Amino acid sequence: MPYHLFKVSECIPEREKHVVEKGKDEEITDALPLGYLNTIPGTLSERGCVYCGAKHVIGTPMKDVIHMSHGPIGCTYDTWQTKRYISDNDNFQIKYTFATDVKESNVIFGANELLKDNIIAAFKAFPEIKRLTIYQTCGTALIGDDLESIAKEVMDEMPEVDIFVCNAPGFAGPSQSGGHHKINIAWVENKVGTHEPKITSDYTINYVGEYNIQGDQEVMQDYFKRMGIQIISTFTGNGSYDDLRGMHRAKLNVLECARSAEYICNELRKRYGIPRMDIDGFGFKPLSDSLRKIGIFFGIEERAEAIVKEETARWKPELDWYKERLKGKRVCLWPGGSKLWHWAHVIHEEMGVEVVSVYTKFGHQGDMEKGISRCDCEGALAIDDPNELESLEAMETLKPDVIFTGKRPGEYAKKIGVPYINAHAYHNGPYKGFEGWVRFARDIYNAIYSPVHELSFVDITKDEITEENSFVTRRMKSDINLSKEIVDSTSIREYTGNFDCVSHLREKSYPYLEEQIEKHKQMAE
Amino acid sequence: MACVVKEKERAGIINPIFTCQPAGAQYVSIGIKDCIGLVHGGQGCCMFVRLIFSQHFKESFELASSSLHEDAAVFGGLNRVEQGVDVLLMRYPNLKVIPVISTCSTEIIGDDIDGVITNLNDGLLKEKYPGREVHLVPIHTPSFVGSMVSGYDIAVESFVRAFAKKDKPNGKINLITGWVNPGDVRELKHILKEMDIDATVLFEIEKFDAPLMPKEQAQPHGETTIDDLTGTANAIGTIALNKYEGGKAAEYLEDTFDVPAVIGPSPIGIRNTDLFLKKLSQMTGKPIPKSLAYERGVALDALTDLTHMFFADKKVAIFGNPDLVISLAEFCIDLEMKPVLLLLGDDNRSYKNDPRITQLQEKVDFDMDIILNADLFELEDRIKKGLKLDLIMGHSKGRFVAMDNKIPMLRVGFPVFDRAGYYRHPRVGYNGAVWLAEEMANVMFNDMEYKRNKEWLLAMW
Repeated sequence: MPYHLFKVSECIPEREKHVVEKGKDEEITDALPLGYLNTIPGTLSERGCVYCGAKHVIGTPMKDVIHMSHGPIGCTYDTWQTKRYISDNDNFQIKYTFATDVKESNVIFGANELLKDNIIAAFKAFPEIKRLTIYQTCGTALIGDDLESIAKEVMDEMPEVDIFVCNAPGFAGPSQSGGHHKINIAWVENKVGTHEPKITSDYTINYVGEYNIQGDQEVMQDYFKRMGIQIISTFTGNGSYDDLRGMHRAKLNVLECARSAEYICNELRKRYGIPRMDIDGFGFKPLSDSLRKIGIFFGIEERAEAIVKEETARWKPELDWYKERLKGKRVCLWPGGSKLWHWAHVIHEEMGVEVVSVYTKFGHQGDMEKGISRCDCEGALAIDDPNELESLEAMETLKPDVIFTGKRPGEYAKKIGVPYINAHAYHNGPYKGFEGWVRFARDIYNAIYSPVHELSFVDITKDEITEENSFVTRRMKSDINLSKEIVDSTSIREYTGNFDCVSHLREKSYPYLEEQIEKHKQMAE
Repeated sequence: MACVVKEKERAGIINPIFTCQPAGAQYVSIGIKDCIGLVHGGQGCCMFVRLIFSQHFKESFELASSSLHEDAAVFGGLNRVEQGVDVLLMRYPNLKVIPVISTCSTEIIGDDIDGVITNLNDGLLKEKYPGREVHLVPIHTPSFVGSMVSGYDIAVESFVRAFAKKDKPNGKINLITGWVNPGDVRELKHILKEMDIDATVLFEIEKFDAPLMPKEQAQPHGETTIDDLTGTANAIGTIALNKYEGGKAAEYLEDTFDVPAVIGPSPIGIRNTDLFLKKLSQMTGKPIPKSLAYERGVALDALTDLTHMFFADKKVAIFGNPDLVISLAEFCIDLEMKPVLLLLGDDNRSYKNDPRITQLQEKVDFDMDIILNADLFELEDRIKKGLKLDLIMGHSKGRFVAMDNKIPMLRVGFPVFDRAGYYRHPRVGYNGAVWLAEEMANVMFNDMEYKRNKEWLLAMW
């Protein structure tokens, strides 16, 4: 597995050890790219800062909280309304953001008083909200403001409120990953165990490392509730502050994104003896296995099995319709962290695409280890802390049919004729769950076979302008090399779901769960 | 019946109208050819600004970070600037201009970016890149001062200061556009062409709206050159359309090179565009041509169709960049509307003395509040407490206020990410006036239909 030095990075040879090319039959032990090291300045790396890892990725998806950044307005503004973590309480956490608006005089004389005034003003502006989080930023970390003592002061004066402090300034690590770690530890250290949840089921879990991007959490929550499981808390998508203070009472931690949230799971295991179970909501097989594992843990595997059977029967024919049409398509799997190993093998197995490259913006070596070993394609390029020129060079040489990456890199890929799918926030998600996975396949299909995409390669000054078609449908492109049998098959079909497949879940009733609630009510009496 | 100017009373900011200074400096840097800004701070200060630009334009722009990490926060981060400059120069062979943009963190730790630029000029550039044209420009934009608006102003001045050099008169005018869109620049250049005026446009950002081409990479980038900037010292005069976004640079050129400066007003609406043409004419001696009088006529015809029928007495709230907000308010008044609330989102003390604001205070004959250091919660809170509005104008970050309170909203300003292609259309000039008025009408028409509020009127219009 040789290291790979991009031409554009020959002048910064230290980049060589951040990129490996997977050879035939090679093991991960042959080479592993370096990871989670300081960024080389000026490379146009795609990494964010530690503050955004703490506040934007993990803190803000909590839905019933005033999220306040202690610093100048920019940190707050920039991390506001840029990520699709919705909630079932009308998206309070997306609509509102709070900044203490630190100014020059505060930098000179300190901003403790300013912070206190702000907290009080924010609670006054939203009297129904009694919970608040404060995030330190570079500026206030450097001037040495003592956030904890202010929070304590306010809590003493206003006993009905609770405040969480997160000290994760932007500079405090190589990437957003540092912020994930800091907020995990701060939460378990300061908040877990300070609130007693009401137990209403024999089967209780914390759903950890799940951020409800476009409704992922609500889709998974639906399966858990159908099994009669009480979700004590979700860390943190669509999650409640007080629920998360009661994490210590769950019987099982179900961990989704191990990159951003394994720390709190490990701490909960150490401190409260709660076992950690890594699961995967992406892909029919991993998801089915995950539900079964949870079922087995609680001795209710038949309920998991019933869900798997029902959902597979409903959605598998639609997934397979896309699989037939995506077989052999070349994909660059370029997400932030954990999706590189959540997706690498499953999109190959269940959608038939070839993963020709994986990258991670903020993952560690462990993520690469899993990602590379799950990546079947010979010659696949694994890149740590990618930068713009390297990504462009990789696309020029690998000629992918589609890339899965962030919004902005997606825009420059567009310019060289490579369509992109938003790997962080999805195009038309959710992508978790059985239906979600079909939506992902549908989005990939639509991107690859877009008739407009084809037009962008025509040079009207030289190329022949054909009169053959006055329009082209996606199927005219995708079905051309398929057998008649597949084209005419009635056992597979295109996606049949709705634009919004999440909101209706909020109205559902759950017999197993109600049974449990009733049982626990009686036990309490 | 009066116009009152006051500061927001509540402490802190809930839903900011602006981001901070470095973002303004970054918006300026992407307007210059062969230029990549190096933001000296944490990675987020650059990454998120690139994201918001890509949200607004649906394009990716080149900006770099010095990637400040913990050690730099303790020991200083100037070595990160040195390395960043070197890496950029090695990997981008056509790169000529690197502004070094400071942030709150690097200003607080006291990194001397002017000093490090001197060191780089005397050391690295001489030794490693002899014969290569490279310009390093310090831009001081601590985030705890002003906002993205002042950051823009500071950056324009920093670039002009770095490059402007006295030489033979070039017969051109300098046109400093302020924080505008490609559609505005296209419209301004159209006006200049009609008037036969040769101008240096700061900044040439038409190609922020970049195409998808079959065999070449058309990544979006500004096209203002070093020569353009150098020549600003030799112009007949400078017109800075926006006082708070380029006014400093115009003053600098006047003070240092005796290039007469005309600052404002933004040519938004008919009267302000008339004034702009008059000033162009005065500065260059070129007459206002018939073709523009004709365009003005087309615009007035379009406005006449809308004003007393649909706009009269409609109450409007406007938020965003100060020059934009004030000019829009003036235009609304001409359209028979009542801009009852203007929200200016930073603590710039000089807004109070702005003659356009004092004129509103003196002459407005309905109740109007102008809130300084405002935020978007101020707007929402006033609506909840009974403020009646028929229209909101502002950027996309205010979309929930409009949606939740069922008030029609026209997206204008920066950023606009929830409407397709708005950057392509002008707000300035007569064509901008038409676009604004007709889009105001159209969002109000949609609202009439959704609310079944006299929507039948449109059936017989």
